[in-house]
Amino acid sequence: MKKILIANRGEIAVRIIRACREMGIETVAVYSEADKEALHTKLADEAICIGPAASSESYLDMERIISATIVSGADAIHPGFGFLSENSRFAELCEQCNITFIGPDSGTIARLGNKQEARNTMIAAGVPVIPGSQEAVYTAEEGKRLAEEIGYPIMIKAALGGGGKGMREVYTPEEFEAAFQMAQKETENAFHDNTMYLEHLVLHPRHIEFQILADRYGNVVHLGERDCSIQRNHQKLIEESPSPALSEDLRAKMGDAAVKAAMAAGYTNAGTIEFLLEPNGSFYFMEMNTRIQVEHPVTECVTGIDLIKAQIRIAAGEPLQFTQKDIHITGHAIECRINAENPEKHFRPSPGTIQDMYLPGGKGVRIDTAIYSGYTITPYYDSMIAKLIVWAHNRKEAIDKLRSALGEVIIEGIDTNVDYQYGIVTHPDFVNGTTDTDFIRRISL
Amino acid sequence: MKLDNMFKKNRGTSMKRIAHRQTGPEVPEGLMRKCNQCGKAIIAEEAEQGYYICPKCGGYFHVPAYRRLDMILDEGSFQEWNETMPEQNPMEYRGYPEKLAAMKARTGLDEAVVTGKGSIHGTETVIGVCDGRFLMASMGENVGEKIACAVERATEEQLPVILFCCSGGARMQEGITSLMQMAKTSAALKRHSDAGLLYISVLTDPTTGGVTASFAMLGDIILAEPGALIGFAGPRVIEQTIRQKLPKGFQRAEFLLEHGFLDAIVERSRMRKVLGDLLQMHGKAAWEEQSQKVAESKVSEDRTEKSHVSVQKKEAWDRVLLSRKKDRPVGSDYIQALFTNFQEFHGDRLYGDDPAIIGGIASFGERTVTVIAQEKGSSTRENIQRNFAMPKPDGYRKALRLMKQAEKFHRPVICFVDTPGAFCGIEAEERGQGEAIARNIYEMSALKVPILTVIIGEGGSGGALALATSDEVWMLENAIYSILSPEGFASILWKDSTKAKEAAKVMKLTSDCLKEQGIVDNVISEPEGFTRENLYLVTGPMEEEIKRFLNQYGNMLEEELTEHRYQRFRKM
Repeated sequence: MKKILIANRGEIAVRIIRACREMGIETVAVYSEADKEALHTKLADEAICIGPAASSESYLDMERIISATIVSGADAIHPGFGFLSENSRFAELCEQCNITFIGPDSGTIARLGNKQEARNTMIAAGVPVIPGSQEAVYTAEEGKRLAEEIGYPIMIKAALGGGGKGMREVYTPEEFEAAFQMAQKETENAFHDNTMYLEHLVLHPRHIEFQILADRYGNVVHLGERDCSIQRNHQKLIEESPSPALSEDLRAKMGDAAVKAAMAAGYTNAGTIEFLLEPNGSFYFMEMNTRIQVEHPVTECVTGIDLIKAQIRIAAGEPLQFTQKDIHITGHAIECRINAENPEKHFRPSPGTIQDMYLPGGKGVRIDTAIYSGYTITPYYDSMIAKLIVWAHNRKEAIDKLRSALGEVIIEGIDTNVDYQYGIVTHPDFVNGTTDTDFIRRISL
Repeated sequence: MKLDNMFKKNRGTSMKRIAHRQTGPEVPEGLMRKCNQCGKAIIAEEAEQGYYICPKCGGYFHVPAYRRLDMILDEGSFQEWNETMPEQNPMEYRGYPEKLAAMKARTGLDEAVVTGKGSIHGTETVIGVCDGRFLMASMGENVGEKIACAVERATEEQLPVILFCCSGGARMQEGITSLMQMAKTSAALKRHSDAGLLYISVLTDPTTGGVTASFAMLGDIILAEPGALIGFAGPRVIEQTIRQKLPKGFQRAEFLLEHGFLDAIVERSRMRKVLGDLLQMHGKAAWEEQSQKVAESKVSEDRTEKSHVSVQKKEAWDRVLLSRKKDRPVGSDYIQALFTNFQEFHGDRLYGDDPAIIGGIASFGERTVTVIAQEKGSSTRENIQRNFAMPKPDGYRKALRLMKQAEKFHRPVICFVDTPGAFCGIEAEERGQGEAIARNIYEMSALKVPILTVIIGEGGSGGALALATSDEVWMLENAIYSILSPEGFASILWKDSTKAKEAAKVMKLTSDCLKEQGIVDNVISEPEGFTRENLYLVTGPMEEEIKRFLNQYGNMLEEELTEHRYQRFRKM
């Protein structure tokens, strides 16, 4: 692999360009007209403008990205996360054009992207799943009948959903119909599909996900878990590894399930298996993310493995250089997402020019970002502008370090959620590690 | 400090290296194509698997005939007729047989039109689809023959006809024989229509020349795809002749809709559903069976009286103000509340489409009815767009066209009147406002299907009567119906328009007075503070009344019906 086109923007594009550069691989950035001054555009060896600001006409435009790849002579595409990263049609196009897609093959993405199919695969492989409907649901009446069978509370979900769209929690049969119709409407608007499914709503769960790596030769390892229970409206805010809720025993059990899941799916490259963990220790497979995750740095910190480089090596056809025995989780890492938004104004995005900024550093402090002094954040894309990751020997030290580092962050000219994050990391429940996915909602009340 | 400078020291020297690879990435042949409208690269399969629409700009590609049949008909229902035709070369035009042979080989088609029988949502229909890839779907003897045969067979089998038109016009290589196809196809369609059968033409890009001047424009219902070029003379010919640049959008479907020649523009994704609904609503037994059903259902006889009893006492002027109130429900609200599956038909087929009048067909229970309403719109912007429901001649001519269509298909007509009066303006007079109103009254008086009119707001003079020469005229409690507005009355008789309040009193324009005089047959009571929110309180009882009306008049013989209507006005 000599030259990689990065079909993404922001900090993840920068992260990938850096990994490539370290590996001696040339990079091609693609950018929209709004991202002419973006860091990834500047940092890559070459940069190609692929269209107007709207992502549908640039970062989501498959044909243009394929054309840019051909024109630049790149032999592979790294899709990052979001945008086209989990689009099986895009992966298929790459295959058809003899371009290496850095990720699993298109068939795997398609199979795992359909939640019902993914679930069936997991059931067949003996991976525990949340009790729920076995078939697609299209009408409220049908759904209501099924809900009675599964038992309330119920979660309504979109078959092709993601990012919290098309999801509704229902606690009583009376609210079911209205909730179902709203969720279905949302799904239709977002995904042009009205396939829904239902499942038992696990109360007070933790979101535990396992990072796996799988090569083309059937070797699969897991790199431990990430606890992503601190979420607002299904959007993760803080992630850490290891999880304070897992015993060695449970970790081994869940890790085994994750490896089994990846094998059952015939998975290659880096992937993440998401579980819901109930307070009583039962865990259920939720979904598999077929891409690199935003929160991948915490796993890198505790395992010492560079996940982006591992992705590139696997895509290039290299076998894994380690086995499960070689993976050791050392210390504790926490990631905190910094968004350009105003928590006091309903988390309204806050685009604008960064007048001045100072970011912390020191041992065990890592910052992944694409902003710089004088950079203008446009309103077109995701509001996440930086990730602050800390590593220390244990959880307490890591929290102390995170608190100290967050306190140093200065970003002038726009609103950010830094103070809000500071509030979370100093909250007694977070410090004690007794949070669940409902934590943010609870403290906002 | 420039960021570029900072990163320079990081750059590898490898940049200058030129990649020489044997099996490097490349786009396989046919995977992508360029949209001929937006010019962007698209994945060919993505367009072809769907509706042949550019996923980027929404532009329409031309659809091959058999793909079109797949999109429209129930799976496996198509039976092709006249698959192969003997080759024609009436002028013995040199090179024509070779050209035809090449076309056949290239497209896999025998001629530029495919005809046969199929079904949509289970309703059988004859269908013909032109394919522009075959000599621009020009009409020669075989095209004309296939269409004429299909239409004749439809007449014989009592089936509707749907033709998807697309053509460059007559086929030059066949000379005058081509011209005669216009007469042949049109004549076959006339017989089909006289047999009381439905013909829907769907105009796709481009429909021009002799096809436009024959079967394309003869549909009972004419639909078109968005943006389709439709015209008699091609735009290039016109430009060369008049030596002027044509305006943007000239001869496009939207232009024709505005000029009254299309019933509707239908997107490709909705076409099958719309055609299926239209066929079903024109089902053979739609009228007879339904009238029987209504006859069987008991409708209480005393409802007329009851609804009259609850009419409250009010000053005439208060009723005038209420009838004009801004939040009072308008025509489209009634259509929505009383009917389902409303299919709006536009245009008078002469000059324009008047937004002050909306009309079309809709389902009332299981029966199909023609619905026509004067429409004020419900916001200031809509008021302006709809010209405050003051129709131009085009509006009345559209209404009459729809009534004549109702007569052909034996379905009752229900009109909602709500107009300050017919539009008073230069272009209205130029196009014959008086003639249009007169023609409506004249034709309505002898229309062979039941007509019901409900005055829901203002019943302004001749502008109202042009939709109210009916078997029964009903009024909402606070609607008004008069020879002139009270302001106009005061100004003409008393030379003082400020005396409108007094005028309203003497004009006897309110529902109670008109009922007493026998001008209206039925008064429907309104709730206090009548708005869209509580419209159901009015439409609920109205629905029952309409059932009663359809029951009573639907079972009358045609002569009885027209005689009754004649006498209703004769005695006034």
